This record gives sequence, C-alpha cells and structure tokens, in this order.
Amino acid sequence: MEQVKTRSRHKSSRSLQINPFKLSAPMGATLAFLGVHQCMPLMHGGQGCASFTKVFYTRHFAEPIALQTTAVTDVTAILDGGDYSISESVKNIVNKVTPQLIGLYTTGLTETKGDDVSGIAKRMEVPLVYVNTPDYEGGLEQGWSAACSAMIRQLTAPADSIDNNCLVLLPHVSLTPLEVEKIVDFMTAFGFNVVTLPDLSSSLDGHLGEKQAALSSGGIRVEHIRDLAQAGLVVSVGASMIPCAHELQKKNPQIRHHHFPHLAGLVATDELIKTLLDETGFHAPPLPVGRWRDRLRDALLDCHFALGKTRFILTGEPDMLAALCAIISEAGGKIAAVIAATDSSALDDLKADRVIVGDLGDVEDLAAADFDLIIGGTHVEALADRLGKGMLLRGFPNWEQLGNQLVHDCLYEGGAYFLCEMANVITRHQHHSGQR
Amino acid sequence: MATKPHIRELLAESACEHNQPKKTACNAPIPGATTGGCAFEGAQIALFPFADAAHLVHGPITCLGASWETRATPTSWPARDLTQVGLTTDTCLNDVVFGGEEKLAVAIDQTITRYHPQALFVYATCVTALIGDDIDKACREAAARHGIPCVPVHAPGFVGSKNLGSRLGGEAILTHLIGTLEPEVTTPFDINLIGEYNVTGDMWQYSPLLEELGIRILSTLSGDGRIAAIRTAHRAKLNVIVCAKSLVSITRKMQDKYGIPWISLSFYGQRDTSAGLLAIADALGDPALIERTQALVAREEAKLGEQLAPYRELFAGKKAVLNTGGNKTWSIAAALQDLGIEVVATAVRKATEDDRAKAREYLGEHGVLMMDPGAEQAKLIDEKGAHILLAGGRSLYTAIKKGIAFIDVNQEKKISYGAYAGLLNLAEDLRHALESPVFSLAGRRAPWNR
Repeated sequence: MEQVKTRSRHKSSRSLQINPFKLSAPMGATLAFLGVHQCMPLMHGGQGCASFTKVFYTRHFAEPIALQTTAVTDVTAILDGGDYSISESVKNIVNKVTPQLIGLYTTGLTETKGDDVSGIAKRMEVPLVYVNTPDYEGGLEQGWSAACSAMIRQLTAPADSIDNNCLVLLPHVSLTPLEVEKIVDFMTAFGFNVVTLPDLSSSLDGHLGEKQAALSSGGIRVEHIRDLAQAGLVVSVGASMIPCAHELQKKNPQIRHHHFPHLAGLVATDELIKTLLDETGFHAPPLPVGRWRDRLRDALLDCHFALGKTRFILTGEPDMLAALCAIISEAGGKIAAVIAATDSSALDDLKADRVIVGDLGDVEDLAAADFDLIIGGTHVEALADRLGKGMLLRGFPNWEQLGNQLVHDCLYEGGAYFLCEMANVITRHQHHSGQR
Repeated sequence: MATKPHIRELLAESACEHNQPKKTACNAPIPGATTGGCAFEGAQIALFPFADAAHLVHGPITCLGASWETRATPTSWPARDLTQVGLTTDTCLNDVVFGGEEKLAVAIDQTITRYHPQALFVYATCVTALIGDDIDKACREAAARHGIPCVPVHAPGFVGSKNLGSRLGGEAILTHLIGTLEPEVTTPFDINLIGEYNVTGDMWQYSPLLEELGIRILSTLSGDGRIAAIRTAHRAKLNVIVCAKSLVSITRKMQDKYGIPWISLSFYGQRDTSAGLLAIADALGDPALIERTQALVAREEAKLGEQLAPYRELFAGKKAVLNTGGNKTWSIAAALQDLGIEVVATAVRKATEDDRAKAREYLGEHGVLMMDPGAEQAKLIDEKGAHILLAGGRSLYTAIKKGIAFIDVNQEKKISYGAYAGLLNLAEDLRHALESPVFSLAGRRAPWNR
C-alpha cells in the first residue's frame, strides 16, 4: 500500500459536487442573526431559500426557527430592484411582531439581479442591519462572519475609552450553544464581564420558554452590540472571526485582540489560560479549571490506545476541522484526510496527510483502506454504513441525533468528554466489524 | 421543439379547484409573511423518488446543499439509491459572470459516467434561470452522447410554490418520458399511481393489497419509481392520483392524449383506504374484481377491527383538537375517528373549499372548523375538555399550558400512518402521547415560583 507522507492542499476543481456538505453564506447569516435577542432574520431571495434553511435548522436544533423571506418571484425578480419586496416584508413583519432588529441579507438570486440593499436599508425606519451574502460565494463560515462584521460596522458606537473588565467573545459558527456558554463561564471565572456576538448560547440552546416566540428567543441584546467598543479586549475563536475582531478595533483602536484558531484540547486551552492570566494578573486559574485539566490529561492516557491506532477522515467547516484535528492529534490519532466545505486559512498547517476542499465524493475516491473512521454531519452516515467504517456525528447538519446544541467538545472539560466518546465509538466499531 | 412548459397555462389548470371561485394564480407569496417551499422543492418532491435516475441540480449550493437526504422515500431499486445522492454544479461567481453551460455539460458527463443512471434529470434554479443557461440544449446533447433520457426540469424556485413545482415536474415527465417505451405485457388492470411518493413507505402499506386483487401498478410518479416503467405509463387503464392535487394537470392531459381516465383518492385511515380500493375496482369496472375487492376490504377491516379493539377501549371518550392544513384537516380527522377518538375541532384556515366541506362532513354539525386556530385552539381545549392536541411544533406550548398530550403532525414523519397497517402506527403513537408523563412534567412549576 502506498503511504502518503506529503500533505497537499488540494482544492476540488470539479464541475460537479457529489454529496456536498458545503452550506451557503445566507445560511450562515441566518444563524448569526438568530444569536441576537428578539431579532427577525430576513432573507432577501426566493421563498425556497428561506424555507430550506428553516427546515434545515429546525431539524438540526429540534427547535422552531424564526426566519422570514422577501419572497422574490419571477416577476419581482425582473421588475423590482428590491425596494418593493424589502419594504413590503418589513411592513408585514412589524405588523405582527416588534423585533429589536431585522437582519437583512441577500442570496444568489438577488445578487445576480443586482439589488442595492445598502441603499434600500438606509431608507428603512426600523432597526435593521444589512449584509451581502450571495450563495455562490463562500459558505457557512463566511456568511456568519460577514453578518457579525456587519452588525459591528452598522450598530456599534465608536468609543475612545475601554473597560478592562469587559471582554467581547467572537465564536465561530460551529461552536455549539453549550460550548459558547462553557467558554463564557470559563472567562467569567477569571472575573471578566463577557459579551458574545453572535450568542446562540441562550437562543438555540434548546430551552423551554414560556411561550412560542415568533422572534429569536435569546442571544445578545441590541444595546449590548451598540456598546461593544467599550470592551478592553476581544477574543476571536476560529480563523473566520478575525475580520470581525478587526472591525471592532476600528471602532476603538485601544481594544486588545487575542486570537485562538480553536479551543480544543490541552495545548489550546493552556494558551487561553496563559492569555487570561496575563490579562488579569492572576497567578493561577480558579480551582475547578485545574481539576478538569487533570481529567483531560488522564483521558489522553486512557484513550490513546484506541485513538492512536485509528486513521480518521474529518469533514465539515474549516474552523471545526482545525479543532477536531488538534484534539485527535493530541491523543495520537492519525488523520488521513481533512475535507473542508470551503477554503480557509484555518486549513493551513493541519496535522493531516491530505487537506482537500471538497465533498463526500472525495471520500469515496480515497482508497477505502486509507481510513477507519469518519467524522461529519448526517450525510456521512450512509457513506460510513456502505463502506463499513466507524462514524462520529459532528457539525451541520445532524438530523439523526438529538441534543446537538448540548454537545461540548472544547476546553479541558469538553476535551475529556470528547476523547472518551471517541474511544468508545472506536472500540464499539471494532467489536461490530470483528476487528477485535 | 420548445420544451419549456407554459406557466400561466399550468397556473390556470382547469381541473384545479383553487381556480373555481376566482381566476387568479394559486401562488402569490407575500413578502415578509410567507412560509412554505418553492417550485424547485416541489419538483424535487415529485421526481427525486426515482432512485434509478440521477438528479443534477444546476444552481448555487443552497438549493441542493440544504435539501438532499431530507425526505425518506424508500425504494426497492437494488442498485445505488440515487434519491439519496446529492449532485449539484454549485454555481459560483465565475459561472454567474460567464455562464454555467460548459460546467453543466462536464457535470452531466461526470454524473452519468460515475453512476450509470437509467435517466438524468437536470433542474434549473433561480440563479441559472436568471443568467439564461440553456438546460434544454445541455440535456438534448447529453442524451445524444450517452443514449439515456436526459430531462430538463424548468421549475426554478421563484416561479411559485411547491405545488406548482410538482406540477412542473409532472409536466417534464409527460413531455420527455411517458410514451417513449412500450410495456412487455399489458393487463386489463394496469394502473399508474400519480403523486404517491412512498414517503416513509406509505405506498407499501397498500400495494400488496392491490397485488392480491390482481391490480398491477404499471408505473408510479414516483414512489419506488422506475424510469423504464414511467415511460410505459401511457398504456395504463387508469390513473390514480393519491393525495396530490398538484398533479391533476398531468392526469387530465393523459386523458386527452391517451384516453386514460383518472380518479383521485387518499389512503389515510380505514374509511379512505377501503373507499380508495373500491373506487379503483369500480373505475376498472370488472364485476369479478369489484367482488374480490369487497371481500378483501371486509377481511382487512375485520382484521384491523380486532387489532384496534384494545386501542378503541383505551381511547373511548377521548377528545382531540386538530390544527393542520390541506387535506390533513379531514384525513387525519377521519383516521382519529376510525380509532374511536372524537375530533371536536379542526383548523381549516389553510384548506381549500373542498377540504373545508369534507372537514364539515367528517366532523358533523357540532365539530368546530377553526378559521383562526392560533387564537381559538386554547379556548376550545378548555370548552370541549380535549385530551390531545395534534398540531405543528409551534402549538406545543398550548398543549403544555393546558397540560394535555401533544403530537406533532407536521414534522417529517419517520413512520407511516398510511392505509390499514399505518392506522396501527398512529394508534400506538397516540397511546404513547396520551400516557406520557412529559407533558405535565414539562409544565411543572419551578420550586422557587410559589
């Protein structure tokens, strides 16, 4: 068997996507606006763009999803420059509910016909943020990040002083609501007042409220977005969030920026703690943090037998892949291939034999002997079954399992859970496939 | 040959009851107040169940990326199930600027070489329709190159609703496939099932009964469908539309062109299933067949009656409120009544005149037809003393507040409620819901809220 030693960054230049897990930029913007309290995401496109997106997330989160569409038709696509459909939409939305914010974003259809949403947005008399997210450019991470930047650009007031107790967290799109909450709690334990943008930890965390909300039912408040530039530091997690941090620094150049490609595994969490200790002047972290570090180190030792003998294929959004790659490598797992939905600097220097921007068709093209286990969303299930491979479900979409919002793989704590889960999946797969 | 269907003409379909009262299009989505899928999704629903055909979506990633592998339409096709294979050209900026036809041609070739399908469907989407990519030409040339039927589907999302899209999908089948192959044998009892997509195996609940009666399913559009079969559909003796008003146009046109009569029915609940089987036998008109069908219906009803007896005992005196739309407003009501549950109210806001009339017929004069279910249902649960609410996910809160059981009827169901056997599944789910402690526990007051 030929052993591939060199790592090549290969972008699938096929004319055909086969079994894609790539998701569109407007879908990313949808989630970002759902991380704002009492927001109505408004997708400027055909009704199907919003309908597909709504069903997709409703099934992933097992929660109702607030989302509206400007419902562009073949007639309005030709005759209307967006003015009619957007102003009608806003009118019809505020007739029924009182959103604190309307998040207006485009799609391939309305970008192709060339609507000037920035001009239209400026004429609206409701709190509204607009962003251009054609679905023929970029993907989920870009849409999420672009919407986040747009909120900072259009809502955050410039400031010339900072509050060192205040920290702004900018999480990438693949961090689950619970992971965001855990990161916030972790930072809060160091004495920071943490504000998160976008914040899914209280909107899509799967809580039972008092009544069915027609708008997003949690998330960062609009007034807190306005005040973001008063923070002392901004922490971005995931390469896709760097532009958002820079956007915030434009509002107040005194804000210090710390970037983490991910917060998975021992080394990355150590790095975060170093930064937080430096920033606070503390000598040691709060007690439970140390205990979780010990548990993670123990888990590394317990799990390395299973992970070390396993060759992985990782599929999904780049920032999530960087995290998975790190923690699996820390436990000695070999990564045969990383297959990313879109290109990103997050894919630089990953510890993997191959790095491909592609789809599940690329997995089928790899030699079956090359890997034992695949990690990805729902779509990897049929493939793993057909090829007799092990499987762990992570990322978007996961329609097969409940509790996606409660998955927690990051920091010391989540890392310990993740490694044990991973090792158990491997062992069970070996039993079932008769390898043990 | 112009293959693009005439949208105006399809919207004004004469056999479509939406068009009886006023002559306007059934689809005019309101900006900012619209739910429901687009025409592309409708075409996908109608055609994707052909598991022996490849389905190539010419558009940006949202159209296919968010939608493939979402519908459980099982197939008995022994080779790779192409319904669950996602194929798209993933239109990018470069294609929008310079056109996507070259890329499409390559994608078609790669698809056919890789999967050897019995046919290829190429779906236009909003962006590729807007930039004017010629999918007719691409399909014509590909068919000549590869020697398999290549069917252009002109249902870009922005032309209208899911219903119109399903109709456009049917139109593509009629134009390009039906009548292009002769069946090896014909029988006097050959039927086509139109609009039966075999969602969660619904069709398989009753297809063995048809087989037992000697009725042959010549082809389906498109549940467990085969391309070779649909190409012979013009030789059927009867078209049977199953719960799908959107495909009336194709059956009407087949009547004009091939003289095939059609009937429309549903296989939901015991009464509809029995009535449906008898309607098929009647339409085929053979006295012996009718007699056989009556005997089979009696046998099945007796068998089901026995199986349902313990449930009927359990459900005696139970009252339900139903909040859904379309034909479900009465078809689920009928199924519940078959189980011995009294349906005290059903929502008819999202129903046609015909559906409303049927709902009235099933519920009787004391049943409430809710025009504003959101506001009415909570009050009605109290007034009528309902024990269970069947509705979309949004109404869960109403059920919890009232402390009664809840079933989400609009979720993509994982289990079939179709025909006789499906009624047992529904009965089992109802029993679970009525016995479950979760609805009162979830509504339990927190210890700190005295």
